[in-house]
Amino acid sequence: MFTKQPIASLSVLGLAKAFSGKTVVKDVSFSLYPGEIVALVGENGAGKSTTKNMLCGLLPPSEGEIQVAGQTVTVVDGKQHGIGAVHQELSLFSSLSVAQNICISDLPGKPGRIDWPACRQIAEQQLAQLGVDVDVNQRVENLGAGKQQIVEIAKALLHASKVLILDEPTTSLTAPERERLFTLMRRLKKQGVAIIFISHFMDEIYQMSDKFICLRDGRQVGSGNIADTPRRELEEMMVGRTLDEAKVTLTPPSTELAVQVERLSSHYFHDISFSIRRGEVLGIAGLMGAGRTEVAETLFGLRPFEGRLLVDGEQMIKPNVRQMKQRGVCYLTEDRRRNGLFGVRSVKENLSAAKLSRFVQRRVKGMGFRGEASQAQEWVEQLNISVPSIDEAVSSLSGGNQQKVLLGRWLATLPRVCILDEPTKGVDIGAKFEIHKKIAALAASGVAVLLVSSDLPELLDLSHRILVMRTGHIVGEFAREDFDAVEIISLAASSAFEKQRA
Amino acid sequence: MSLKHRLSAVNWLPIAAATLVACILLSLLSSSFMSYTNLQSVLVQASVTAIMAIGMTFIIVTAGIDISVGAILFFTSSLFAKLMMDTGSYTLAFACALLCATVLGALNGVLIIKYKITPLITTLATYTMYRGMAIHLTGAQNIPVPREMGFLGNGKLLSIPVPILLLAVVLAVGLYLFNATRFGLYARAIGNSAQSARESNLPVNKVTVFAYALGGITTGIAALILLARVGGLQSGIGIGIEFTVIAAVVLGGTKLSGGDGTIVGSVIGAIFLVLIDNGLNLMNASPYVYDIVKGSVLLIAVVIDKVSVTRQQQHLLNQRAARIRATG
Repeated sequence: MFTKQPIASLSVLGLAKAFSGKTVVKDVSFSLYPGEIVALVGENGAGKSTTKNMLCGLLPPSEGEIQVAGQTVTVVDGKQHGIGAVHQELSLFSSLSVAQNICISDLPGKPGRIDWPACRQIAEQQLAQLGVDVDVNQRVENLGAGKQQIVEIAKALLHASKVLILDEPTTSLTAPERERLFTLMRRLKKQGVAIIFISHFMDEIYQMSDKFICLRDGRQVGSGNIADTPRRELEEMMVGRTLDEAKVTLTPPSTELAVQVERLSSHYFHDISFSIRRGEVLGIAGLMGAGRTEVAETLFGLRPFEGRLLVDGEQMIKPNVRQMKQRGVCYLTEDRRRNGLFGVRSVKENLSAAKLSRFVQRRVKGMGFRGEASQAQEWVEQLNISVPSIDEAVSSLSGGNQQKVLLGRWLATLPRVCILDEPTKGVDIGAKFEIHKKIAALAASGVAVLLVSSDLPELLDLSHRILVMRTGHIVGEFAREDFDAVEIISLAASSAFEKQRA
Repeated sequence: MSLKHRLSAVNWLPIAAATLVACILLSLLSSSFMSYTNLQSVLVQASVTAIMAIGMTFIIVTAGIDISVGAILFFTSSLFAKLMMDTGSYTLAFACALLCATVLGALNGVLIIKYKITPLITTLATYTMYRGMAIHLTGAQNIPVPREMGFLGNGKLLSIPVPILLLAVVLAVGLYLFNATRFGLYARAIGNSAQSARESNLPVNKVTVFAYALGGITTGIAALILLARVGGLQSGIGIGIEFTVIAAVVLGGTKLSGGDGTIVGSVIGAIFLVLIDNGLNLMNASPYVYDIVKGSVLLIAVVIDKVSVTRQQQHLLNQRAARIRATG
């Protein structure tokens, strides 16, 4: 007997999460019914992961209500509530067998004596239910990415009788593996499992989902039926324009080439060619894992490559960082805490780190520094870094100020080529705008800028040209007058292993 | 499952092969090597390190390490000898010694999970501390143990030397814990990824403490055998033994990075190290050469392991590159 309105498997109302006072997700409300596939869409950093973590019980929500099968719960307990998740980074234990991985959180037998035959049987059943053939005695590390994904799903499904959350499940899969996953999702749907499908790929979302929930800047900005929503409308909803008030003015670049890259290839990208002129900002758009950071790091001499790299017309053969720095190239890392800043050291030392030789005193050879403090003070003022003293440890600063310190360090080297990787990641709006102005000013002064960013509005505002990368290839180029946010995002997020559209 | 995968799952195979080769070489070197008495004496010599290596395997498989085992060994011996001298009660001395060894091991585990200090530093500190405690306890005296203690070290039961019997018992228990219990599986899971283990709701802290406690109790058992064999407490007992124990585990095929290990391998590793001693002895090598050889052997084993890991990573990178090229 079916009632007209079945009970929602999972529903949330006004879900919010704040980390140390900073709200990252707010106002998320939706209901999920048995046998539905709901796409959770949004750009990088829109709050998808945080939402997912609250839904599968890894994070307790700060506010809001979660109902499982009509019952209000404070924190989700996956095992008890029948909710399982497959995370983007697989959480399998690589040296254990498939059967051990699937059963590890609920082993058959006594604690002092695991019932291995039963364990294998459960795993086999689980996998048979998914219609795949994997040897359960095999170690997980010996399986390919696609089969590992399947094992992860089988593990999640051991408990996820009601709701399955899939976070970017297709990024590491080949086309046939992806088709198999989709068949599987359809079968689970038929069995009445509700699926939350997180994906960047619009084709996949339109192929698989019934409904969507769209997040932007941590807010839910829309939801509805996929069938009633044209693709373009959904893409516009995701992109949004939030920085309209903060426009910067760009000056036209010179014609002189600063950097030329010809047929660059490595393990992470293939056949990359482009050039940057003096005074030009070249943006690179793309999803995480598209190879953007790897290209940026290669240009700074951090990674080996094949192909030709020219700076100021001079070919660099197997360059290292030292040689690139001598040519006036600088690189602002995407992960400032791990690769950029010296957390426990002072602001002063962090600012001078890239150009120490300038401060070494000559009087007693190589002993002591001179002018380091006054220079640091100058940069603090110029970049408007708010810090009680330049002797403060850099780790005590806010994200925005940390980023400005790192930027200041490289600007102190008076660079001629600036490679900026996610320069405003984790930075508040105010600091973001200041950094944007600084980038525009740099370009105006004749510096060539390569800007890698996942923040599309930022790229649209700052770049003279934008390249789009996808799975290690350049798949598109846009001049400023042809910028089209929706087209760029759909180009970057077309299915990873589909043939390029003409 | 392919034969290659099946063989790679038997991770103690390389050390078994190396030990076999060592045996063949030694029997060429000396006709008396293959005799029953000599093989028995090799096993007796290996028993102390082998028993400790079984406990250490559990620790290393959780991606930890305990370099304080030599000090635990020294403290346990001191406590036992002191109690025997003062009270003369075997029951009391045995119970206290084994209990203390377990507690000292467990304390390492508690410190590591509670304060999240790296195991190496934690156990370096407790190494010094435990050794100091032992010296303080006995006033740095040499204390003889009663003659009948010798049974544990040199005696025979059913014409098998007692240390070998004890090793067999510890090995059986170790194998069971490692392969048949949740504890054994969880320990391997934690070594793979403590983060994933927490996400899968495994009792990470409990398992870690238990692994270090197990290291403690096996060290306690080894301490009593060693004390019986030496005939009394001497101040040099246990110095440098942590190296031999860890070397045996690593040679055996357990990964220092955790997650993957073998109990059988650790025991064979301990035997292999004794064979090296044996061989050098037969060649009349200078006693100073022993450590050079043992250190080099360990280094070679670690390098081979590392190279194979690097090659595997390179293979994955190449696969990735090929895939990117194919989509072009």
